[in-house]
Amino acid sequence: MNRQNSFEKDFPGYIAPQKIEEVLEILSKYGKEIKIIAGGTDLLVQYYDRLYEVSAWLDLKNMEELKEIKIDQNQIEIGAMATHTQLESSADIKRYYPVLSQAASDIGSPQIRNRGTIGGNIVNASPAGDLLPALIAYRAQFKLVSHKEESIVSAEDFFLGPKKTILKPEQLLSKIIIPIPEQNTYSSWIKIGKRKALIVATVSLALVLSMAEDNKIIKEVKVCLGSVAPTPFEIMEIREKMIGRQFNQLDFNELGQLVEDRISPIDDIRGTKEYRQDVTKNIMINALKKIYETWRQSR
Amino acid sequence: MTKLKIELIVNSKKRKIEITPSTRLIDLLRDDLHLTGTKEGCGKGECGACTVIMSGELVASCLVLAPQADGAVITTIEGIGSSDHLDPIQEAFIETGAVQCGFCTPGMILAARRLLEENPPPNEEEIKRGISGNLCRCTGYQKIIEAIKLSITRLSKSDSRKAK
Repeated sequence: MNRQNSFEKDFPGYIAPQKIEEVLEILSKYGKEIKIIAGGTDLLVQYYDRLYEVSAWLDLKNMEELKEIKIDQNQIEIGAMATHTQLESSADIKRYYPVLSQAASDIGSPQIRNRGTIGGNIVNASPAGDLLPALIAYRAQFKLVSHKEESIVSAEDFFLGPKKTILKPEQLLSKIIIPIPEQNTYSSWIKIGKRKALIVATVSLALVLSMAEDNKIIKEVKVCLGSVAPTPFEIMEIREKMIGRQFNQLDFNELGQLVEDRISPIDDIRGTKEYRQDVTKNIMINALKKIYETWRQSR
Repeated sequence: MTKLKIELIVNSKKRKIEITPSTRLIDLLRDDLHLTGTKEGCGKGECGACTVIMSGELVASCLVLAPQADGAVITTIEGIGSSDHLDPIQEAFIETGAVQCGFCTPGMILAARRLLEENPPPNEEEIKRGISGNLCRCTGYQKIIEAIKLSITRLSKSDSRKAK
């Protein structure tokens, strides 16, 4: 009871701090009781469905420094409050991270993209989160800050399960840091859903591949999937089948099958397990074909 | 529950309102300001009936907390033309038969208004993408797209007249 009173005294159910230090201070005291709100496009849907109670909102809308997208020679830093509209209209993201750019432009609708943020998409940790396969594929790292300390964690270590992450109540996701891909990097993004706008992905796939300097041998590859496992994840087994080889040594069908064998989809309103298996194999093959075409034309 | 005081500009008028922290923007508009032109369809941001323009951006007012709109500039359908002086977009919607039951129309017109601010003017694909957050169950969209094209044509004509 006393605790509730002190909480109410500090702020009346809603606060929008001007400084990040203030946000972290509030989180260190009341991290378990309050809900951080950014765009609200996922959070408010869940809230009004009465999936949980909220005693107070901590609104990040005044965190100007978290809305910036900054690029230098080595990496890009995307503030957690950057909206999907910002991501899809950023020339730097389009140039260096086309899959992230396309994934952002495939989200929801103009109304949703104008409000929804990259940080929200990440901490919401939906298995179908549209930006997540791309972030893993591009080796994104997340900066987590708290009153006491800050840490950097890689995207693939952040997600624990549907709606579950390693983020602690006193922590804030502040930035997403992605290294600039090497030259000769090719990528493909495929999102499958029942329609184009306002759809939660039935399956999604981000494939990012880098060729060696000679542009002949595959140096690095990441195949990441959404909506077919408890978290977005990378198919690690693909690496040994592709790295060090040339395109003409690859069997696209076999690679598609390998991806299908490694996923663990469920039946839900968006599709059956069997449907997801078939489609996953096919989109893997299509992504490889698309990348192969782009590579061939670039030579 | 605690009440909060917020201040915002709605259809060019400054408004001071007391709300609860969990009031939605749509409730503030409809219940507190009696601007019932903004409709609630799904309440999940999927139908676009509650679309308004907030500080220059199209938003679903069912997915904005009223306190998040503190300090914002909001345009609702009531801020676009009046029954005596219709906006050219509204005229185009009537002329092309883009209104049937009318429930999606306020949201559609706001989405159209936002599209008309784009420079260069949007092509058909861009129009479709621009209204992709607004569901219509009557028209099949074709007449809505025609209406938006018509208002673009008229707008560019009146602009060139002004320029002369």
